Amino acid sequence: MDFVTMNILDSAMVSICREMGITLMKTSYSTIFNEALDFTCGLADMNGDMIAVADFCPAQIGGMPLLVQSCLKEIPISDIHEGDIILHNDPYRGGLHTPEHTFFKPIFVEGEIMGFAVAIGHIAEVGGMAPGGFCGEATEIFQEGVRIPPVKIVKKGEDNVEVWKLLLANVRTPRVNYGDLKALIAAVDLGEKQMQGIFAKYGKAKVKETVADLLLYSEKRMRAELEMIPDGIYSFDDYVESDGVESDKNHLIHVDVHKNGGSIVMDYHGTSPQAIGPINATLGVATSAAYNAVLHMTDPTIPRNSGCFRPIEVMAEPGSLLNVDFPAPSVGGNTETHPRIVGTILGAMSKALPDRVMAAEGGTHCNFVFGGVDADTKEYFACYDLEAVGWGGRSFADGNSAVDSINGNCRITPVEVYETRFPWLIESLALDTDSGGAGKHRGGLGYSKQMLCVNDVITCSQMTDRHLLAPWGLEGGKEGGCGATLVMKDGEDTWKTMREAYGKASTSRFNNVAIRRGDRVLLRMPGGGGYGDPAERDPDAVLSDLKDGYISKEAAKKYYGYKEA
Amino acid sequence: MKFSANGYYIESYQKCPNCGVLMYANSEEDRKKRVEHEDKTYCSQRCVDWSIAREKRRASAAG
Repeated sequence: MDFVTMNILDSAMVSICREMGITLMKTSYSTIFNEALDFTCGLADMNGDMIAVADFCPAQIGGMPLLVQSCLKEIPISDIHEGDIILHNDPYRGGLHTPEHTFFKPIFVEGEIMGFAVAIGHIAEVGGMAPGGFCGEATEIFQEGVRIPPVKIVKKGEDNVEVWKLLLANVRTPRVNYGDLKALIAAVDLGEKQMQGIFAKYGKAKVKETVADLLLYSEKRMRAELEMIPDGIYSFDDYVESDGVESDKNHLIHVDVHKNGGSIVMDYHGTSPQAIGPINATLGVATSAAYNAVLHMTDPTIPRNSGCFRPIEVMAEPGSLLNVDFPAPSVGGNTETHPRIVGTILGAMSKALPDRVMAAEGGTHCNFVFGGVDADTKEYFACYDLEAVGWGGRSFADGNSAVDSINGNCRITPVEVYETRFPWLIESLALDTDSGGAGKHRGGLGYSKQMLCVNDVITCSQMTDRHLLAPWGLEGGKEGGCGATLVMKDGEDTWKTMREAYGKASTSRFNNVAIRRGDRVLLRMPGGGGYGDPAERDPDAVLSDLKDGYISKEAAKKYYGYKEA
Repeated sequence: MKFSANGYYIESYQKCPNCGVLMYANSEEDRKKRVEHEDKTYCSQRCVDWSIAREKRRASAAG
């Protein structure tokens, strides 16, 4: 292997992926892209193997190979031409869920396909039963928005007008969707152009050979990491609460992690059957979650590409919660079930790698989605609002507070932008005292956001979790605080859950609630579980937490033996 | 996964009962690896072997 060229090429390709992301961020219309950064840009070889990606969303990173390869099974390489761009979002064919749109563009060099530039983005409004893309009470795929099989949205450099018209006719915000789809296209256009420059500099043969070496290098390094973990079968159970349709029925995720030499298999058999409501995950999600969990436990300097995924296998029974069959819904699987899967794997591996796993993190993106007609502009608006959670305490440190859940790498939309773009007034946004699970190392804090509706009506839906089942602690650490979604109607003075206020089956998954002018909504995000016995916490750390308001005096006395002077 | 004769829509989905991967009816590469075992179609012999081993393990744990 030519390590020098390999490192230079890897760095260059990662840099190209970052540039693609910056292009997407700066040219998109929706806050989900230009503020929250819910997208991933990568490069693939002609077989659909991922060869480079930058620091984007783990859910999309892990899903990328299967997404591209699924499309290549339907559109043969011989039918892909220079200037084509393929679009796909079908959950049943390698997809993650309907909002996640994958674009990929062939990179032609001297008439030969050498690979693909790929961009995956979460489109906020995809049609379907609820504005904002998350129908919390969906019972079939047809309620979850437009399902797109692999199609050419651009053919030989020209827009495929019929496809554009069909897509934009079936969403509530065609102007914004057009802008966002064009931004994703701009990203893959840039990726293609930059990679053609790489090929021009090094030559096709050298790049091909070096990329093959890079994937092999990543594979070898991952296998070496896995070799260091004691062989064995490690098992764990965790639950997804409710499915939005059947109230208070928990759904089991079971994993047997088979670690053998330089390989690891995530066997999810024993998991609950698929649910009626949209908490089901696709195989793409189950696979992506497995990769995500392993990447969290292993050397972060291993180049991220399909090579480092080769030692990882996934077994998810068809028709189970983690491999949904048509036509069952799956919109919540990619955001809510994915972190639960990762948590289950980390829980299993805590027995083998106690120093490399954390207690349960909040494990939800909140997914408070809404839409309506702006009273001033008369234009339809839609938004996918994601929020952050507390992460689990670790063997060496407290959990981080208010960080996007483990399968995302997204930012919270700033309050100022939120209020400018959407008819809400954010009355408060603050960390929640005592929301981090007590421990030698405390769980990270969640937070609450209180919003006042300043439009005639906003139609709201949500697909979140951790309202009932708290994030677990590890090694004697305590549970983190639960989340909540509460409403205080105009003229009233009590906060109610969606179940109490609107008769919904679940407090955490619902769709199409009418929030009216003067109503208030409170979104509370869960904290992370604690790690280790709270009695062993450094007293200075307890005092510091008290001073910062992270814990109350009552909690300090109860968990940490604090005594007032 | 089986497409309609005109290729415009999907008629049925078929997945490996062990690993869950989608099996494409029109893929020669997939077809060569498929294995029939106890009235089920698996994507590969590895999945058949893994399924058998899993059942044995569970039976042993339950016993």
